Amino acid sequence: MKSRTRIPTTPLLMILPSFLLAMSIIGYPILDLAWTSMQEVSRFGKMMGFVGLANFAEVFRDPLFYSSLVRTVIWTVAVVGGTLIISLPIAIMLNDDFYGRGLARVIVMLPWAISLTMTAVLWRWSLNGRAGLINATLMDFHIISEPIEWLATAPLAFTVEILVGILVSIPFTTTIFLGGLSSLPQDSYEAAVVDGAKPWDLFRYITLPLMKPFINIAIVLNVIYVFNSLPIIWVMTEGGPANGTDILVTYLYKLAFRFGQLGKASAISLIMFSVLFVFTIAYVLMVMRQEHDNTAEEVKHDA
Amino acid sequence: MTPKLKKSLLYWLLLSPLCVVILLPFGIMFVTALRPRDELFVYPPTWTFSEFRWENFVEMWVKTNFGGALLNSLYVSLTSTVIAIALSIPAAYALSRYRFSGKGLYRNFLLMTQMMSPIVLVLGLFRLMVHLNLVNSLNSLVVTYVAFNMAFTIWMLQSYFNTIPRELEEASWIDGATGFTSLVKIFLPLAIPAMVVTAIFTFINSWNEFVLALTLIRSQNDYTLPVQIFSQVAGRYQVEWHHVMAATVLATVPVAIVFSWLQRYLIRGMALGAVK
Repeated sequence: MKSRTRIPTTPLLMILPSFLLAMSIIGYPILDLAWTSMQEVSRFGKMMGFVGLANFAEVFRDPLFYSSLVRTVIWTVAVVGGTLIISLPIAIMLNDDFYGRGLARVIVMLPWAISLTMTAVLWRWSLNGRAGLINATLMDFHIISEPIEWLATAPLAFTVEILVGILVSIPFTTTIFLGGLSSLPQDSYEAAVVDGAKPWDLFRYITLPLMKPFINIAIVLNVIYVFNSLPIIWVMTEGGPANGTDILVTYLYKLAFRFGQLGKASAISLIMFSVLFVFTIAYVLMVMRQEHDNTAEEVKHDA
Repeated sequence: MTPKLKKSLLYWLLLSPLCVVILLPFGIMFVTALRPRDELFVYPPTWTFSEFRWENFVEMWVKTNFGGALLNSLYVSLTSTVIAIALSIPAAYALSRYRFSGKGLYRNFLLMTQMMSPIVLVLGLFRLMVHLNLVNSLNSLVVTYVAFNMAFTIWMLQSYFNTIPRELEEASWIDGATGFTSLVKIFLPLAIPAMVVTAIFTFINSWNEFVLALTLIRSQNDYTLPVQIFSQVAGRYQVEWHHVMAATVLATVPVAIVFSWLQRYLIRGMALGAVK
């Protein structure tokens, strides 16, 4: 049994302010959403009474919910997948010593410094069908013969938004991979090279397995961020044309702040919250397992 | 050719498509911000234009109320950074130096708050701010930014605090200093670089935040920069793109410069704390 002689109050007092703030700003809204999702809410936010799961039923009857859901899955899988495939080789290059590496790092990290809103505004203008300089550049290089209306049709606009999504996710992902690569043991590489291993073998049999925990963390974190990302789609097309680029967050935002359907919007929020919660638990378990591994390793080193 | 030079050429060749895609919009931003209005919609579109119209920046400043939005952004970002750091220092110190029950639990709690994105909670947050009578007040943004940034700041600070040797404080206790004086006189001065880096990243996060600012601030006078620039683009029949791009230049270039200088510290900090 644990001894209960002395309760350490000092550290608890030290974490108390941050805990209280997080509880009131992040914890309370979750409860409020749960409450609102089971109410009939007027257009002006007035509670009209308890309706149980009626809002959820309405969400599940709504075809726009399903099309947004499907698009959310496509958006998340495509952006996260694309980001990982591009970021790993970039991190491997940036981790290696070459001329101009500092400059390359700055350029690759640059999209991180610019807000998603500004990036989206910038791309919306660059892709302008009539005056956009992307069209001008592609025409100068004779890649296309006439301007393309990039954002006027939903499938093309959505594809472009996915590409921009990948672009802005690369810096963060590359950073995680750089952190991972810097911790890989150099001696296994040296031993393998002595044994005559080719670069591809080194990657396949040493880098990839050792990077696995970092790849897993990058997947979970990116899924959470991308799943929740509103600005790119909101600024570039506002979910249009004809709801054709809506994902759950943009649909949720429209329901809540444009159409005033607060009950339904709360229900969608809660559904999304549950999905996020599952991913968060997965992440916490992953981090804990890794910490456990690290501690085990430290103990091994100490011994 | 030396192997390193060969490798460098190969790497730059492989990186060049990405570099082009990253830098191209910046080029477009500059040439749009500087061109005369009537050369915006020439057909076919061209990169070239007749003269550098620096007055675009002056016109933009007046027409888009850039100064007001800049002040709002500065107020929100500075205040939330200061409060976030002030609340995070004791928490990070406790996590770094004390063993107590619930420590692991608290770290996981922080992780979860980090995962909870504002957009999923936006409706609840909006209703909370309505109750607190804070809608349209920049302070609503301050408290939410502090709350949503705290996990990251505590995490970063803790990872740096762990690298400061405990012996320094212990020595000062032996010399008779109380816990608090040794904290203020010995520990915190050593932690200043970490606090500065963490503060700047918190500042950039707050500076760039969009969803909450779009939702909680309804009057144009209180818009922060991202919302102000978005409002110049959204739902307008005619967008003054040369003004929008001039505003984007002013709003992003300083942040990008600071960030380029700082990003290696972020990589180190994340390698130390967040990922490991």
